[in-house]
Amino acid sequence: MSSPLTGPPAGARAPAGGAPLSVRDVTHTYGRGATAVPALGPVSLEVPAGEFLVLVGPSGCGKSTLLRLIAGFEGPTGGQVRVGGEVPRPGRQAGVVFQQARLLPWRTVGGNVELALRLAGVPREQRAARVAELLDRVGLAGTAQRRTWEISGGQQQRVAIARALAGSTPLLLLDEPFAALDALTRERLQEDLRRVSAEAGTTSVFVTHSVDEAVFLATRVVVLTRSPGTVALDVPVDLPRSGLSPDELRGLPGYAALRAEIGAAVRSVAS
Amino acid sequence: MSALLSAPASETATVEPATVAARRRRGSGRWHRVGVRVLATAALLGLWQLLYSLRIWSPVLLPSPRAVWDALIRTSTTHDGTVGYQGHLLIEHLGISLQRIALGSVLGIAAGLAVGLLMGTLPWVRVVVEPWVTFVRALPPLAYFSLLIIWFGIDESPKVWLLAIAAMPPVAVATAAAVVGAPTALVEAARAMGARGWQVTTTVVLPAALPEIATGIRLAVGIAYSSLVAAETVNGMPGIGGMIRDAQTYLQSDVVILGLFAIGLSGLAIDGVLRAIERRLVPWRGRG
Ligand SMILES: Nc1ncnc2c1ncn2[C@@H]1O[C@H](COP(=O)(O)OP(=O)(O)OP(=O)(O)O)[C@@H](O)[C@H]1O
Ligand SMILES: [Mg+2]
Repeated sequence: MSSPLTGPPAGARAPAGGAPLSVRDVTHTYGRGATAVPALGPVSLEVPAGEFLVLVGPSGCGKSTLLRLIAGFEGPTGGQVRVGGEVPRPGRQAGVVFQQARLLPWRTVGGNVELALRLAGVPREQRAARVAELLDRVGLAGTAQRRTWEISGGQQQRVAIARALAGSTPLLLLDEPFAALDALTRERLQEDLRRVSAEAGTTSVFVTHSVDEAVFLATRVVVLTRSPGTVALDVPVDLPRSGLSPDELRGLPGYAALRAEIGAAVRSVAS
Repeated sequence: MSALLSAPASETATVEPATVAARRRRGSGRWHRVGVRVLATAALLGLWQLLYSLRIWSPVLLPSPRAVWDALIRTSTTHDGTVGYQGHLLIEHLGISLQRIALGSVLGIAAGLAVGLLMGTLPWVRVVVEPWVTFVRALPPLAYFSLLIIWFGIDESPKVWLLAIAAMPPVAVATAAAVVGAPTALVEAARAMGARGWQVTTTVVLPAALPEIATGIRLAVGIAYSSLVAAETVNGMPGIGGMIRDAQTYLQSDVVILGLFAIGLSGLAIDGVLRAIERRLVPWRGRG
């Protein structure tokens, strides 16, 4: 049984091999001189393949900044970021899901995914089938012709995830992707994302404010201090990745203990 | 193979009826608007007729609606061996003017798009060109028409040039503003998918600019329209602006008013067409 994500990726852009993600002594400062804002660091993180790293921290501590550095939107003002051994460049090594879906309204749902495939170098004749397959994987089969404003916020975020998966990148970056959704939709998407990442073994970095979301999704949680953020807590999450229902998972004693530990760390850095 | 991220049924089911209802509402709103407009027009005509009947002004200053109607019939037919107005039917006058407007607008819009795109993407072009665009925009077309006539003679070219110059600035300004204001969130999303350089322009910047460009185009055509009479001041016959000026010298106010109606109504019709095209082209307007 082959998972869609582990199958041979069409249009994969980054070479395999090399630690997926390495962040060494990274600091970042916005602006210069009198108006300089130290936003992050120094932070060091080595993220092995297949890890689901969740970043938690107070507002403004630099989580989005760190994600933007990993995505290659900006270069760090200090230290170095490497993805698969290379300096990250946007659209090369990582798929990105933002807090808002950021779909292109002049393209249909399918058209948005199709564009991601095109930009990833997937040949034209393979795209239609891949669009259908990706939409099916995010539970949106048959919506390819819909307009982006005709679907719900949760569905839009699913399209954004399909679009990020389209590049078959080894790394997935998600910046509070479920923050704007209602509790029910968020839970459903969390379950689905947890299953996907467990099956596929993609390396992910996920930012959230929710301690429960962190413990539920992560194989490792990093708590950052207040701005400029440094690592306050770095704990592995040794909970079973599959075979348990969400309720069973949340019922485990280890789950509650991690929640308490991380929650305490978040509260102490926030005060 | 698992269906990843399975959507709840309720998320998919509820959309269609809402859209249909919205469409129906829009439809009934349209008939309502048409009704209101027909009534308002009838009221205006009534007022006009009333003012005429009171004989406050002489018929030379204010002809009756009936006289204007007769002028329409007279200029649209051949009678006593005379063809229409001064040898051309009204429809020919109008048709030639529309050709000039079409040609001038197309040239002006194309130039405006190119200039606006350059202004939007290259800051130094913006710095250099922006004051000149504003300068040209501030000039009344009649002012530079004299120069155009010296340069190009009295044939078609100065007329088309005038309309093109008048139509260019609104498109340039709208395009430049839209390109500069391209939504960063979407530009970033495209870059995150691997778009680089020119790809970002074609996949995000230009489509995102379309609504504003469309507005710029409608403004441009409107300005070309209102510059028509200026463009046809010299050697403007056949041409509806030329017809108006000619009728003016003979104090034929009924033909002048008829010409105004012809310009105004065809302007309305063309704006309607442009709006319909715009709706087809940018259905996402306001829902980004
Ligand atoms: N483009 C920018 N220019 C200047 N300062 C910035 C910029 N982006 C972020 N900052 C500053 O850098 C710091 C970190 O911002 P960042 O967005 O990374 O925080 P965050 O942890 O993602 O916060 P939140 O949880 O609220 O999203 C903040 O103090 C912010 O004001
Ligand atoms: Mg943030």
